[in-house]
Amino acid sequence: MSWDYVLELITNILITQTGLPNLIFKQVIMMAVAFFFMYLAVAKRYEPLLLVPIGFGIFLVNFPLAPLMGYTEHGYPELLRAFYRYGIEWEIIPPMIFLGLGAMTDFGPLIANPKTLIIGAGAQLGVFITYIGTLFFGFTLKEAASVAIIGGADGPTTIYLTAKLAPQLLGANALAAYSYMAMVPLIQPPIMRLMTTSAQRRIKMRQLRPVSAREKLLFPLIAAVLIILLIPAVAPLMGMFMFGNFIRECGVVKRLSDTAQHSMMNIITILLGLSVGATMKAEVFLSWKPLLIFGFGLLDFVVCTFGGILTVHIMNRFLDEKINPLIGSAGVSAVPMAARVSNSEGLKADPTNFLLMHAMGPNLAGVIGSAAAAGMFIAMFQ
Amino acid sequence: MKKVNLHFLINGLWAWLFFTFLVLIFMPSSTWAAFEEDREKPDPEFSRTGGRITAKLLPRAKSSSILIDFEVSGGKLAAVRGMDFDKADGPSVDQKDFKSALFVVEVQDLAPGAETKVSIISDFFIRSTQYWIYNPKLDSPWMDSKASNLDRGDRIQELVIGVKDGGVFDSDGVENGKIIMVGGPKDSFWGYALGTLFIRYFGIFLVLCILMLGMLFSGKVFQYLERRKAEAMTKPARSGSSVKNDVKPDMHRLSLETDMAAAIATALHMHLAGLRSAAPIPYPSKQPGSWAQQGRQQIMGERMLKINRNKH
Repeated sequence: MSWDYVLELITNILITQTGLPNLIFKQVIMMAVAFFFMYLAVAKRYEPLLLVPIGFGIFLVNFPLAPLMGYTEHGYPELLRAFYRYGIEWEIIPPMIFLGLGAMTDFGPLIANPKTLIIGAGAQLGVFITYIGTLFFGFTLKEAASVAIIGGADGPTTIYLTAKLAPQLLGANALAAYSYMAMVPLIQPPIMRLMTTSAQRRIKMRQLRPVSAREKLLFPLIAAVLIILLIPAVAPLMGMFMFGNFIRECGVVKRLSDTAQHSMMNIITILLGLSVGATMKAEVFLSWKPLLIFGFGLLDFVVCTFGGILTVHIMNRFLDEKINPLIGSAGVSAVPMAARVSNSEGLKADPTNFLLMHAMGPNLAGVIGSAAAAGMFIAMFQ
Repeated sequence: MKKVNLHFLINGLWAWLFFTFLVLIFMPSSTWAAFEEDREKPDPEFSRTGGRITAKLLPRAKSSSILIDFEVSGGKLAAVRGMDFDKADGPSVDQKDFKSALFVVEVQDLAPGAETKVSIISDFFIRSTQYWIYNPKLDSPWMDSKASNLDRGDRIQELVIGVKDGGVFDSDGVENGKIIMVGGPKDSFWGYALGTLFIRYFGIFLVLCILMLGMLFSGKVFQYLERRKAEAMTKPARSGSSVKNDVKPDMHRLSLETDMAAAIATALHMHLAGLRSAAPIPYPSKQPGSWAQQGRQQIMGERMLKINRNKH
């Protein structure tokens, strides 16, 4: 055994079995991106539940030669690929998240004031404006729809639609959606102030009527019937959402409701975050497209906020009992962050004006509205 | 410091939005699109049944396959195959308008210079679908075939094109008893995109309006039922007491004098206040609901206002 042979052996081992010689600059950039999102999550507390696993997923998947996102010699998916394949490609995780969200949601404010559903519809304006905008920049129809839904400010809906229509954009879309959702308190207030007068921000709304337990129990059934009959494509999301809410409100399956709200939701969130992060390999992510998606995502949020507030202004023209336009911004979904922003802006205008519960109505309507928009897009491409 | 950070972030976001606008305005759409592979390129598979050839393909912007049938009413349909759009790309056409593939249709066994009718049938076509022909030998190679668009029922449309051997639609350009017709069905991309956008945006309003009406209606029903229930609970109590004490109905109409009513109210208040001080009424739930929380927040807010007023 000569010295040259040993040297060659070491070189071969270094090149084929260690990551360091295979590390490329793009991967280092992606790791920096991962650190940035983990920093936002940990230090700034921006959507930490999602951004921590997503960030870590990006970090892991960009190690060279790491058997995480490929297939084994026998064709079996590797660890993160398995999460992605069975969770997202098979469209299981987003509906399960909706199940958990349904179990966590109190529809009382929406049931007490169903008019706020219109605000939820109006706040989808950005979705459609962005859809057209992205088409001008060469996105395909399916890609445009998946980018546009970011403005719906609903992470699981974005992931569900993107996985179905444009899986190649999943990472960028999910990251944009969750990042901007976390930044709702920064994005929305300037638009809210721009679109309302001081007097409008001080409008006090009547206390909502109490909603009986029976009414809350029947709501998921009524809503499921109406929505799924009108948009069958949205059945996986809405069906699970309403099922989750039903097990919460029926009160006889507390264990299931608790599991859906806590343990299941936490497990699914981990799998979802890692899977989404794992789609962001350097060779896929580092292009113009994600940058444009981030740009369009922000534009989308801005127009959706604008659309929600504009809808309230239009509604106020016809209503005797005026609605505070600040709750219009909550129509973008992002539960409950957007409702909190409406409340805090209302309190700034008048410290005795509490809008939280009123804003929860459009906020929940936004969830239904963005899911309806997703259903519309899915139906369009069937 | 925190405020400075917040302003910095907000300014950063707006700057990012501005930057995006600049990019959107100044970057031609083809710049980055060129980096992308064509993921939606249709890849038709063909099968023959008698004189008919069927293409099965996944068109652009669709998630499920479609079928396109080809038939001829003169000569023999020899073959149909797909063709890449890149080979026929030109300034007068946009690939986006051709959602399904381009097809090369070969018809044989014709008399030289004879004409045949090519039928292209699918439920994917709509009444406005056109069939455009590509003939590279012409100065302007792309032209509308002016195909007749016939409704065959059951949402199936048939495009019928008259093609003459050696004519402008025949790519080989010679009267040899053989026709090679290159072309594809064309639908307006922007017409579809904008039309469907309009319909779907208002579709969301429609869906949520229907849900709203359903909820308003069910809300009224529930409120009515709750009222009935409350009334039913008070009625037996009234009727029970009247039976027990043998009180005549007229007794209910007795009106109390104001002083007497005030005295009773004061007595009740003092009694209840005493009870409250003796043992606090236990709160039914450890975790207050959202309604209770809002009420508490409101009360606290009002108290804070008073405190602040006293301070200044």
